[in-house]
Amino acid sequence: MDQQILNAIFIGSIYALFAVGYTLVFGVLDILNLAHSAVFMLGAAITYSLVVNHGQPFWVACLLGIVASGVMGLVIEHVCLRPLRRRKAPPIAALISTIGLALIIVAAVEQGQTGTFFSWLWVDGANSVAFPAGTIPNPTWHLGDLTIEASKVAIIPISIALMLVLGYVIRYTQVGRGLRAVAENPRAARLMGLDVDRMISLTLVISSALGGLAGILFGVALGDISPYIGRDNVEVRGLAVIVLGGMGSVPGAVIGGYLLGMIEVLALVVLGSNARGGVAFAALFLMLVLRPQGLFGAQLRERI
Amino acid sequence: MRRLHLVAWLAAAVFVAACGSTGSGTSNTNSYSGKTIKLGAILSITGAGGVYGPQSRDGMNLAVKQINNSGGVNGAQIALTINDDASDKAQSAQVAQKLIQEEQDMALLGPTLSNSAVAVHPLAESLKTPILAVSTTGINIVPNCNAPSTVPCKYVFRDSLGEQTAIPDNIKSYAADSHPATGVLLVAQDDKFSSDGGTIVQNTVGQYNIQLLKTIKFNKAEADLSPYVTQAVQLKPDVIFITSLGGIPAKIMTEARKQGWTGQFLGGNGFNTATVSKQAAAAGKGARSASAWYLGNNFASNAEFVSAYRAEYNKDPDQFAAQGYTAIKILADAAKRANLTFTDLAGDRDKLRSAIESVNIQTPLGPFQFTSAHDVKQTVWVIAMDGQGGFTLVHQINPS
Repeated sequence: MDQQILNAIFIGSIYALFAVGYTLVFGVLDILNLAHSAVFMLGAAITYSLVVNHGQPFWVACLLGIVASGVMGLVIEHVCLRPLRRRKAPPIAALISTIGLALIIVAAVEQGQTGTFFSWLWVDGANSVAFPAGTIPNPTWHLGDLTIEASKVAIIPISIALMLVLGYVIRYTQVGRGLRAVAENPRAARLMGLDVDRMISLTLVISSALGGLAGILFGVALGDISPYIGRDNVEVRGLAVIVLGGMGSVPGAVIGGYLLGMIEVLALVVLGSNARGGVAFAALFLMLVLRPQGLFGAQLRERI
Repeated sequence: MRRLHLVAWLAAAVFVAACGSTGSGTSNTNSYSGKTIKLGAILSITGAGGVYGPQSRDGMNLAVKQINNSGGVNGAQIALTINDDASDKAQSAQVAQKLIQEEQDMALLGPTLSNSAVAVHPLAESLKTPILAVSTTGINIVPNCNAPSTVPCKYVFRDSLGEQTAIPDNIKSYAADSHPATGVLLVAQDDKFSSDGGTIVQNTVGQYNIQLLKTIKFNKAEADLSPYVTQAVQLKPDVIFITSLGGIPAKIMTEARKQGWTGQFLGGNGFNTATVSKQAAAAGKGARSASAWYLGNNFASNAEFVSAYRAEYNKDPDQFAAQGYTAIKILADAAKRANLTFTDLAGDRDKLRSAIESVNIQTPLGPFQFTSAHDVKQTVWVIAMDGQGGFTLVHQINPS
């Protein structure tokens, strides 16, 4: 059971980090950026490629992976969102255009094999790969029946620190005030002299950089990097987390992430492996019925 | 004089008869010359099965190239198209329909995954088109492709070793070597390949006095398998059975070793590719499975295949490449003997189907024949991962 609680905290951190990016965009723009899962994957894939295929040191690759993910945020804004906003398209159009971009990104990585056009980005096709042993120091400790792995433990403080920084930026800085103003009322923000487009671009850059970082941490800790790591289960879980925590609420996404990790592991231990996915989504359903605004929906009057 | 007449007539008659038979024989062979035998392969190049499909493709392309470069099939060239089904059952069936009805291919190969075969094989059967499975190992692939109906499918064949043979052979050989007492089964419940394998493990362990402590089910797309592995490891079994495919076996092995478990991994066909052995690396060392093929076999038909494959692709083949290569050799051999007309597609598909039943050739898998149920009849090689991306041979089990 102790090991299972550790497992829950660890996977919860990844859910939380992933969901924070999701919820940030939702809080500001009122749309779901479904390309977020593809950016999550891209962050991990680029970092892996830089280390293994281009011989870069891990920390340099990591930094470049996060920067590239941030740049993808700009691509999402300029290709999928801004043109639609200009045409005053309904939110569903943005949802669909981001799904489209996600499919394109996954397909591009999937095509990457030696000798193909995308080989500079990825050479392992549909395969799942892991960082070679020794890329980063990863000592493992055994305390009684507990197995504690450095790379998994490190995720927890990294996630919490990042989320605290993000919370501080949003609450106490000029940029944060701008973001909150846009989230509250874009038209009023524009009339007050705020560059709304710039604020939205910034939101997407921060959200995507966080998504890319979550992908890198996932790849390092789980030893699993493939074109599908974002799409398969993290994406749906991320949606569940932001519903649990309250759509658009950053603290809600953090608490929701840990909560979902805990519910899933408890379901596995108490009810058996068949029940795991079912119980997590039953909890989600209950939340929607009993408290549709999510855990933090009512307390937080302000968005994000 | 009259006798001379008779002899002359007889001689003339024999000559005409001989000419006739020679004539018809020549026309059969010549009817192939300049023609094309169209084959369509449905493979999972992308998606979960993308770990296996590309190797099948490379094996097939190599065989086609060799056959066409050495004069083709009685002078006819093989034209093979590779079609990606993205590991998706519905897409697999759509591709099959197109290949059979629009492209008018003479025979199909594939699909890569048993999960997709459930949709594709009944379709080929109903459209009377021979289809040769090259990597599907689940239950009910042959002969009853329309399960639960038990009517045997006439047009469906497979050259891949079924899990119903491979998993019991593997468990039997390990039980004889090490006498394990307990086991835990990890199975992806939403994947036919894995759940079929799980059923076979459950039905087999009792025969060798292995107590199955628990069957732990998960979904194949699960992001983090550690909670399931923790559950398995805490039961301290002698053996962990893994019947999944793709990246899952390596993930389970790595996690279980991290958690300090030192027992034996036993698996199915999902282990049998260098990709999985490479992913598992040191954590996979010693993990055993029964394979249809072994890289180190040095009989001529395998040695030639391995050296040709290395020359073409600059890497080692694996079981899936060997089975893909063998499939093309089987279809070429059958086509050679089938007296194809190239004018009557339905008739030709039927002739090809009958000829496939009597294939008896040397292949990289060993001497190859089909059973009356259209399944493979071949030697089984029990192999173990070597911890460095390859395999070592543990046992050889000849067909009974």
